[in-house]
Amino acid sequence: MAMNRRDVLKGMTLSAGSVLLSPILEKLQAQAQGRAITPKRFVFVVESNGVRPEQIAPVGVQRNPRPQQALNGPAEFVDLALADRRLPMSLEPINEFKNRVTIVQGLSGRVCGGGHSNNFQALGAFGAGRGNGGESMAIEGETIDGALARAIPGIFPHIGLGISKRLENNVIYNISAIAANRALPTMCKPDQAYANLFGSVAGGNAQREFAARNNLLDFMREDVGRARTRLAGEEREQLDSYLETFETLRNRQSRLNEIQHTLRERGPVVNNKYTSAVETDRLDAQFDIGAAAIICGLTNVLTISSAAGVRDFDITFRGLGLNIDKHSIGHGGSFQGHTWADLYNMIRRYHFTLIAELARKLDRVREGNGTMLDNTLIVYLSDGAEGHHSRCWEWPMVLLGNVGGRLRTGRYVDYPGYGRQGHRTTANMYVTLLQLAGSNRDTFGMRDQGLRDLDQTGPLTELLA
Amino acid sequence: MIRSPFYFLLMVVACSAIAFALLVDAALTQEKVAERKFSSPAESKTDYERAVAPFLKKHCITCHGPKVAEGELAFHELDIDMKASTSSGRWAMVMEKLSTREMPPEGRAKPSDDEVKAATSWIQAEMKRAGKNFSRRHAIANGNKISHDKLFDIKQAAPFDNPVRIRVLSPEIYTGFSTDIAKGLSLGQPFTPEGRTTFKDMGAPKIDEPVTVQLMNNALVIVERQTAHKIEGGKLVALPGAVKDMLSYVDESVPLTPELMDKAINGQFQKIVSRAPTADEKARFVKLMQKNVKEAGRATGMRYALIAVYLMPEAIFRYEIGAGKVDDKGRIRLAPREIAYALAYALTDKRPDTKLLSDAIEGKLDTKEGVAVAVRRLLDEPKAEKPRIKRFFREYFGYDKATEVFQETKANPEHDARALVEDTDKLIEYILAQDKNVLYELLTTNKSFVAYKTAADTKKKRAEAIKKFEEQKKKDPAKFGKKTPPKIGRDVYTAYNLSDFPDQQPVELPVDQRAGILTQPSWLAANAKTDENHAIFRGKWVRERLLGGVVPDVPITVDAQLPNTPDKALRERMNVTKQEYCWKCHQFMNPVGLPFEIYDHFGRYRDKEPVVDSDATAKKVDKKGKSLGIVLREIPVDSTGGISGTRNPAVDGDVKNAVEMLRKLAKSEHVEQVFIRHAFRYWMGRNENLGDAASLQTAQKAYRESNGSMKALIVSLLSSDSFLYRTPTVENKK
Repeated sequence: MAMNRRDVLKGMTLSAGSVLLSPILEKLQAQAQGRAITPKRFVFVVESNGVRPEQIAPVGVQRNPRPQQALNGPAEFVDLALADRRLPMSLEPINEFKNRVTIVQGLSGRVCGGGHSNNFQALGAFGAGRGNGGESMAIEGETIDGALARAIPGIFPHIGLGISKRLENNVIYNISAIAANRALPTMCKPDQAYANLFGSVAGGNAQREFAARNNLLDFMREDVGRARTRLAGEEREQLDSYLETFETLRNRQSRLNEIQHTLRERGPVVNNKYTSAVETDRLDAQFDIGAAAIICGLTNVLTISSAAGVRDFDITFRGLGLNIDKHSIGHGGSFQGHTWADLYNMIRRYHFTLIAELARKLDRVREGNGTMLDNTLIVYLSDGAEGHHSRCWEWPMVLLGNVGGRLRTGRYVDYPGYGRQGHRTTANMYVTLLQLAGSNRDTFGMRDQGLRDLDQTGPLTELLA
Repeated sequence: MIRSPFYFLLMVVACSAIAFALLVDAALTQEKVAERKFSSPAESKTDYERAVAPFLKKHCITCHGPKVAEGELAFHELDIDMKASTSSGRWAMVMEKLSTREMPPEGRAKPSDDEVKAATSWIQAEMKRAGKNFSRRHAIANGNKISHDKLFDIKQAAPFDNPVRIRVLSPEIYTGFSTDIAKGLSLGQPFTPEGRTTFKDMGAPKIDEPVTVQLMNNALVIVERQTAHKIEGGKLVALPGAVKDMLSYVDESVPLTPELMDKAINGQFQKIVSRAPTADEKARFVKLMQKNVKEAGRATGMRYALIAVYLMPEAIFRYEIGAGKVDDKGRIRLAPREIAYALAYALTDKRPDTKLLSDAIEGKLDTKEGVAVAVRRLLDEPKAEKPRIKRFFREYFGYDKATEVFQETKANPEHDARALVEDTDKLIEYILAQDKNVLYELLTTNKSFVAYKTAADTKKKRAEAIKKFEEQKKKDPAKFGKKTPPKIGRDVYTAYNLSDFPDQQPVELPVDQRAGILTQPSWLAANAKTDENHAIFRGKWVRERLLGGVVPDVPITVDAQLPNTPDKALRERMNVTKQEYCWKCHQFMNPVGLPFEIYDHFGRYRDKEPVVDSDATAKKVDKKGKSLGIVLREIPVDSTGGISGTRNPAVDGDVKNAVEMLRKLAKSEHVEQVFIRHAFRYWMGRNENLGDAASLQTAQKAYRESNGSMKALIVSLLSSDSFLYRTPTVENKK
């Protein structure tokens, strides 16, 4: 190219197209002007079968599960520093990041249905399951990862990776949604996920494929465009939405092209775990791909589902030497002398090993005056809220990251009981995340009618610096 | 009421003359509306003052005005500028209430069709100006809201209203298509039904990016397989799965002549959209091929050009646009080719067979009778699979959802949801094979299949196992004496209250215990919770699908939970729904749901039900006072309930249980009509409206006159005006 890229980028602000400037161009442009833009990133790790409240309190802090009723906890907000406390067994793997961790207890999510899994409701806040025993697959609204994907879209606005108990499941829809009735996919086969995300630089034929794909997309834009002019009204809208998909894909191709070098440099290396029949191998691989996707700048919002959803929650983690499924564990089953509680902890500890490795990888990449981890927040929770048969009276979560110092971390916090002054919901947590992402929204999802006397808007101010 | 056919015919003739006059009128008004375009709020306001304000004053303002604001709707406060305000949602609702004639309510003066049309067309025109994408098709999510009496009023003369449409393929059609074209390849499913509609294939889901990506990836997988090869010593060698003809497209040693490109394009078009490309299409594809081959090489370039045909709108959308002129009723008939596709997709998941396509070309589908002949042929063709018929019953009854209700295996190890669903599938197949009084049989038969796929085999294996065990026991009494023989399979028959697998199927179950599909364990388990019955779901089903009633969604302000009191029967726990506010809706569900209490959540008949014995449980503790588990006690089942809303005093009234209720309902003409409305929705892929009254009434007549033949009903529906005609959108008319 004869032109100087810096000048081109600077000039773009003056053109009419500047309002449509893609985030990646915006980033390049900011760099060209010597101004640093640090994108915020969010990773959700959703593990099935519930997170027991008593199991994530620091050693020495007695925290019993709360009764399934209103006013089920104390009136005071609990706020303890982690610095002088030991993390519980299952969280030990993230000990090195202890000063960036926030353990959050006492949030409720009663608008969700409960049951073995809350499915989409876990990352959403809507009551599809009200009263019918829960486990509904209805998508009554956006989920938080979907909302963030719209707020801070990367090349891929959202990437969903996960494992299913069934090896043959490729793409499933059960945890993320961009809007009501519009689910976002969870890619369950690591090899397929890799092909989708890094395919443009994989294999020797990549360059040619890339060119042919571009031509095809251009051709389809024209072809669908032609067909649409023959229609009107709703029929035209049908074709318009089809046309739009080709526009989006073509646009993405251009953007992948721009970062080809990065993809080659920092993309993951495929190994035999990518197609392994062992559940933990596939989850390892998905964390591997997820980390690389963030590092390469493919997305700002990543959801990793560890067999979340009502169809998969009873997965067996054979890779951990367990021959008992999570459903049986949830019902008090023991295995080789380990009680159900031990088994819960062992499995969670494995997840935190993966989370720690992800954090380490991000922490190794310099960004601005710090590292990528400084601008990333990892949120761990369960689609099964507080237990095997969740009723969502509380919803324990663990956060890792301080988002450029905007969260005051290294703490264990516990919100007052349901219905008490100062009680907060998962919706407030999600508002907090949205505001960290730069949104000014102060509500998310449905209001909880059981809390109608309380203010349910705004972020969790107690967590903010 | 039984009318003589002659009377019926007379009325049809008399009415159609009136209807014709009205329709022409309506069409003319519509034409005038179509020409009018609001270019400014002022223009819209002028029209509002002219057509809408007097209407509201006359018919609406008394209940929705300054004095009273029923349903929180007050027209004097509703902004008429939909662009500058957020009022369009409310106006959409107003439009729905008016066009379904739900408002003004019973007992009030009825506006004329013209008055309604004038008001609703202002709403539409203003929405258009405001750029609000209000969609008529989606306006009425619940088809039951359309007045039943008006639909079956033989004087009904509302104008035909069935907009042209295009819809993406259903997931099943896509699977049918891709298995035909790509045998043995596993392709991902790009399409999902929209959801929230009564039947899956009723919506018009929009395509989003993941769908397109999946379509593209699938096409690539197919083409790569068809042209699979390796290069050995500079020569192309075919790999398994390759189509010999297609290899030349990617073989560098074969020159890419215009003839070869022509062949490639033609081949793809025939295979995928069953027609030859137009000259223009050919030219564009040639251009794509040349560009691609130049930039990406022969193999990759050709492959990416070949997959474009799979992505053409025609290959993934179902077109129902119509061809020819708009007739004097404002309708346009589907093109013969469109009819062929619509018929094929109505019964099968495959594209039309060659006979149907040639019927279309030869003009055999140009008349209603011709279409009826074609449908008959498809129905009577024993080799042609008609999965759409079976799916109708699955979706209508919803018994297949039994496999989706999570059941704790410990509570009933014999429960096998899949087998139960298969049994009901088979029972329906059996009833359809007789094709006589189909609905009546579906609601009353005491016949049933019992694990029919595995019963004989399981029985045989069990006998063998016992024989083997006895032999072992004889040889080694010390080792086997205290053991029991190994158990093979599950005792699925317990769901039917039998003591063993029957030898003959179907088996007759006690008439006082079972009556049709709704008493099949599959349906009962599908409408149950993990650990107990769901009387409200069951009642909702009966209210909506047999009685044609409307049960509103749970209001957002209601935390609908039954009290957690396991020492009480479900009926007693449901007493909370008798509060005035709850009862407004629950009166429609509880009385027709509770009669099913004679079954448990696994579908087993019972006359007693277990509840927790609190006293005994409290006493059952160890020395330290720690509970040793719950104690149950049995109480007699109360399964009383009552039917309402059938417009027939002989059917309405108290019932002692579900069996009695179903036998009564099966005799109701109203229930039969509701069934026909559902069949209509399924086969039209949309809700009925008043303009479909004639089609519905003709369908019911066909069903009655054939002694309840499902085939006759389907033939009638698929050759009805509602199936064959569309009303074009304004721009499409040109």
